[in-house]
Amino acid sequence: MNEVDELRRAMRAAERADRNGPDLAVIMREGRRVRRRRRVAGTGAVAVAVAAVVIGVGGTVARSRAPEPPLPAPVATAPVVAPTATADPAPTELRPRPVGAVVGSGIRYGADERVFYVVPVDVPELPGVTIGLAAGRRSPAGELTTDYLVNDVAGSDRRPGFHQIGYDPQARVPSAVPVPTFGYFVGPAARIVGTVDGRHVEARLARWSEDPRLVIFWFDPGVLAPGEPLDGIVARDARGRRL
Amino acid sequence: MARGDAEFVEFATAASARLVHAAFLMTGNHHQAEDAAQTALVRTYASWSRVRNGDAYGYARSVLVNHLVDAWRRPIREYPTEDLPEPHGGDVADEVATRRWLLAILGTLTARERAVVVLRHYFDLPEAQVARELDVSVGTVKSTGSRALEKLRSAGLTAPEPQGTRR
Repeated sequence: MNEVDELRRAMRAAERADRNGPDLAVIMREGRRVRRRRRVAGTGAVAVAVAAVVIGVGGTVARSRAPEPPLPAPVATAPVVAPTATADPAPTELRPRPVGAVVGSGIRYGADERVFYVVPVDVPELPGVTIGLAAGRRSPAGELTTDYLVNDVAGSDRRPGFHQIGYDPQARVPSAVPVPTFGYFVGPAARIVGTVDGRHVEARLARWSEDPRLVIFWFDPGVLAPGEPLDGIVARDARGRRL
Repeated sequence: MARGDAEFVEFATAASARLVHAAFLMTGNHHQAEDAAQTALVRTYASWSRVRNGDAYGYARSVLVNHLVDAWRRPIREYPTEDLPEPHGGDVADEVATRRWLLAILGTLTARERAVVVLRHYFDLPEAQVARELDVSVGTVKSTGSRALEKLRSAGLTAPEPQGTRR
């Protein structure tokens, strides 16, 4: 028996009886919710519902409809799109309302620049999560367009360590405005380094103007192609110690 | 129950155990594995009308592994205890030893390497199918699989000799 056969045999030998079986009632109930969300998103109305996240926009907290409970492992991304005339009751004001300074990345899409900014969010049942991080574009006139928003879906948004990371799998499809992988880390990070296929890629960093513990980071598209998944990520302090 | 739902129930009942075990091989944690398998089945059910006449198992498997490969960037859900392996016949000591050894060597791999190893050698999928399910090139599957096997060799890819009746 060669080593690969040995590996196969061991993986099968490690199987155990599925003691309880799948909870079909829960699975089907959650599956129906996912279907409903897809239909809502498909209307072109407001896609924020996909993440069980309600975004505070235009100075109001947008709880205009009952929030849906999160999936077992929700992906907290909420691409903000312009509302259409169809609708689903939804927030009518979608202008981003950044908290603190908008961080420029130097990444250009024609005249627009990729920028990152913190926005207020309201996540049902999660009082510790009040902010999210948006990747948007800033026009020469200073107008902001949000492409991607990430926020925590558990605990506190100021917990030390990495928080939700924005990774746009749609960017694998050629796009005029691919979103670089981005996120934030809470702590004294001086370097943030990702790993992909055994290669180290260094993120660019900026501290949030309102709370310097919060380090916004992103990977330039030339270093890490948007949509390419990382295998890992670490933060190091000024002395090179892993945080 | 609608016909489609009845078909899904049959599918989920049949597929669940292998999905959970695949997730366990990728995470080393039974709780996370069960969560991941449930997520895969939820999404499969949500798309059931589209996938029921195609490769539903492949769809569920693809959701599962990609969910786990991407899981590092989500907040880690911590569990207070790790349950002990539950025997289901066979030699308990052998099973426990095999499982520990397996998790130890798989633990040397990255999430993506584990995904390739599990899809190639647990599900026995050809490289082209693995590439489709992970949405990467065949070349990436080959190089990742090769690197993973090299790491597994370094970690001791020769199973412990069983004390009981396994051979």
